[in-house]
Amino acid sequence: MADIIMPANMENFDRLMDFIQIEAENVGFDKKLVNKIRLACEEIIINVINYAYPDKEGDIEIKCNSNKNGSGFFIKIIDWGAPFNPLSKPEPDINAPADEREIGGLGIFLVRKVIDKFDYIREGNNNILTLFKYFS
Amino acid sequence: METNFSVNYKNKVVKVTLAGSLDAKRAPALADEIKKLIGKDIEKIVFFAKDLEYISSAGLRVIIFSKQKIGTDIKLYMVGATADVLDVIRMSGIDNIMEITDIYEE
Repeated sequence: MADIIMPANMENFDRLMDFIQIEAENVGFDKKLVNKIRLACEEIIINVINYAYPDKEGDIEIKCNSNKNGSGFFIKIIDWGAPFNPLSKPEPDINAPADEREIGGLGIFLVRKVIDKFDYIREGNNNILTLFKYFS
Repeated sequence: METNFSVNYKNKVVKVTLAGSLDAKRAPALADEIKKLIGKDIEKIVFFAKDLEYISSAGLRVIIFSKQKIGTDIKLYMVGATADVLDVIRMSGIDNIMEITDIYEE
């Protein structure tokens, strides 16, 4: 299991994203899938950086590993902020013309498209979001 | 932070050259440059994307924003984007607000 923990701020954004990229590459995803995993994780990570700790600094932890039967790869993104499930936002209307497009919700829409399974739980004072991608 | 884009405005055409990653950290700087063009006489915005390796929803939002803020009757072009980037653009549906091409002719 690969694991990192650090303060949830934009200064650490590149380190967090590099970690995910390296771990996804290490388990053998091709470039296209690594990019999709990165895209999904970026969304969740940005939510934590921007919203988890409105009043003070707090940490973000990322754990990732292949699952027990080797069918895929899971990434857990953990924070200690107020209860918040980013997957509960409504989806945008992707057929709306440009001037009517809602800017919000697009990111989570993309997470749902590229990730095979996801799960949110509130455990103690943690938000734990798990993203799962099959190998193929 | 390295600059991953350049913006050039001439003869009613804005040319934006993108490279590397257009992600949540880098997209705000591009949004700021585009804000400076609000109110100017613009017919087209051309994104040159052959060196763009990665785009996230933050990058897509700046593209949508450019059309919403500068004028919804302007034409948007995405030139030379890689298959991975086009895949994300199509998933999001914003291919509906732009023309996707391999080359751009003046």
